[in-house]
Amino acid sequence: MSETLVSNEVKPIRTTESLKKPSRRQKIFLAVLLMLLVSYPLLQFVVGGLNYWLHMLLYTFMYIAMASSWNIIGGYAGYTSLGHNVFFAVGGYFVGVLLVYFDISPFLTAPLAGLVSMAIGLLVGLISLRTRGPAFIISTIALVMLVKITFDNWDYIGGTNGMTMPPLLDISLDLVKFPFYYYMLIIAIGAVYMSYRIRHSKFGLGLRAISQDEIKAEVAGIPTNYYKILAFGISGLFVGMAGGIWGYYLTYLKPNIFLLIILAAQLVLMTVLGGKGTVAGPVVGAILFIAINEFFVTNLGFTELNIVATGLILALVLIFFPSGIVGSLRERGKLPPFLDWD
Amino acid sequence: MNQFVQVLLFGLTLGGVYALMASGLTLVFGVMRIVNLAHAIFMILAAYIAYFAFTIYNIDPIISIFITMPVMFFVGIAVYWLFFARIKGTARSGELTVLLTFALALMAEGLLGYFFSNIYRSANPPYATQALHFGPYILSAGQFYATLMSIGLIVLLWAFLKYSRTGYAIRATMQNISAAQVVGVNVERMSMVAFGIGMALAGASGSMMSFLFTFYPGKHWEWIAILLALIVLGGMGSLGGALAGAFILAISSALVGHYYGFTWSPITFFLALFIVLLVRPQGLFGKKMEA
Repeated sequence: MSETLVSNEVKPIRTTESLKKPSRRQKIFLAVLLMLLVSYPLLQFVVGGLNYWLHMLLYTFMYIAMASSWNIIGGYAGYTSLGHNVFFAVGGYFVGVLLVYFDISPFLTAPLAGLVSMAIGLLVGLISLRTRGPAFIISTIALVMLVKITFDNWDYIGGTNGMTMPPLLDISLDLVKFPFYYYMLIIAIGAVYMSYRIRHSKFGLGLRAISQDEIKAEVAGIPTNYYKILAFGISGLFVGMAGGIWGYYLTYLKPNIFLLIILAAQLVLMTVLGGKGTVAGPVVGAILFIAINEFFVTNLGFTELNIVATGLILALVLIFFPSGIVGSLRERGKLPPFLDWD
Repeated sequence: MNQFVQVLLFGLTLGGVYALMASGLTLVFGVMRIVNLAHAIFMILAAYIAYFAFTIYNIDPIISIFITMPVMFFVGIAVYWLFFARIKGTARSGELTVLLTFALALMAEGLLGYFFSNIYRSANPPYATQALHFGPYILSAGQFYATLMSIGLIVLLWAFLKYSRTGYAIRATMQNISAAQVVGVNVERMSMVAFGIGMALAGASGSMMSFLFTFYPGKHWEWIAILLALIVLGGMGSLGGALAGAFILAISSALVGHYYGFTWSPITFFLALFIVLLVRPQGLFGKKMEA
């Protein structure tokens, strides 16, 4: 009897096994990776013609940031949101309005856009998170439709035609992608670091408890309501920032681009593909997804078949590898250390 | 006042069709406990079948339910067997299944878009543009017939659930899965049958949709969002709730459309959804929701 009591006390914390500190080799890996990513654009001065790769990389950074953010509510807390592109759109339009009407640089306003998205997330979470399971998913879809109809009919921000922003910075073509590249890199690092810190905190443990059994979590004294609303808000932060920078990079904003449900689908797919609820999963998933997508686009053209491919891959992963790449590798005990950040 | 009644009638005649669309969705949720996000894309598939039956073979869209319903029933059985039979019963299958229906919807949308392109289509039987006069009030003939047919089908569904043996078993599964299993109901089989019936109802809805609304593959997100709002309002998995939700929202969206302009009428559904979640998360007729 006393033995079981003791083991019960020790087991749920799992500090040594599950929440370990990064090893020396992991730190070196990170440092090298970071140095490579920071210095990569400088190659432009040596060989030139890297704009395509800079574009692909900054695009990947954006999705890494968004998938990692989605993972906080969708993976850690287990509340699948199909409405995260609302944060993306809000960020884009916030920055767009300030640029077009008040001429303030998006590089200054993007962090604010993130905070605005977060505030909206908290507000929506207050209502949406009163339900769970299917009804929550439905409410996030309804949120997308609500925002889309509103943006479509709001003349101040251009309605269905959207807004055109002043052209990009007035610098040479070789350099014009640099600020976007570094900004997206910072956003991605911020999002992944935040995801890592949450995963290794009491807050993160609480979210995991919620995803496993919310009622038991509540009984155990976790403020579940407060935690999940906070998680929903936080998960909007970097998505909003990314939206702000991305809108400026595209130079136009349209409800039809920012509020497509396929965008939300991609975030879910990336995270599930890489491994829901892990730190490295969304990163791996985003990189892989963009590589696959680019392959399809260059080989099949940008057609409806891309949507089919997205759906098919999602279905196959869900049926055969529901725990994703990182999760499946861990289950088999074959997870390489550079992917092991949980 | 006259105008108010006119708008009310307009909403009423749409409500029946919405109810038919939502009934399949709520039936599938009731039995399988999953939200079928692919419901609306299958409605659109059926609408294409009805559309081509009309333009090529001149089959009346309302009559075409005798084609779309059986076809969609078997499509439903095939889909169930291919996708859902495998992951039923695995841990946390509920959430996985929702994502799976999401993936299914994407695939179907892409395929339909690939074959039929995103051109707006609508079948054009003679009654689609006719009007019926009831004293001072005017009804669209198409809407009126479609709603009559829809209500007829819902009554049939109700009778089937109430009086047939399979219907008993399905209702038992809706009330309590494990208890149904204990008394010998083959829950797996009932899920498959219910999914097939849900799809057949989506087929009938598609036939109505083919001449009441313009449709294209990408349109289904709008529809599924509307239908989901309906069933959340009524209480998920409750057939009567879906019916009530459909009429309430059809009428209120008609009123909003009349007084604030038709671009705003769809917003009624989504605002209503959030208000319901705020005031009564389990819906008007729903039981307290489980995890």
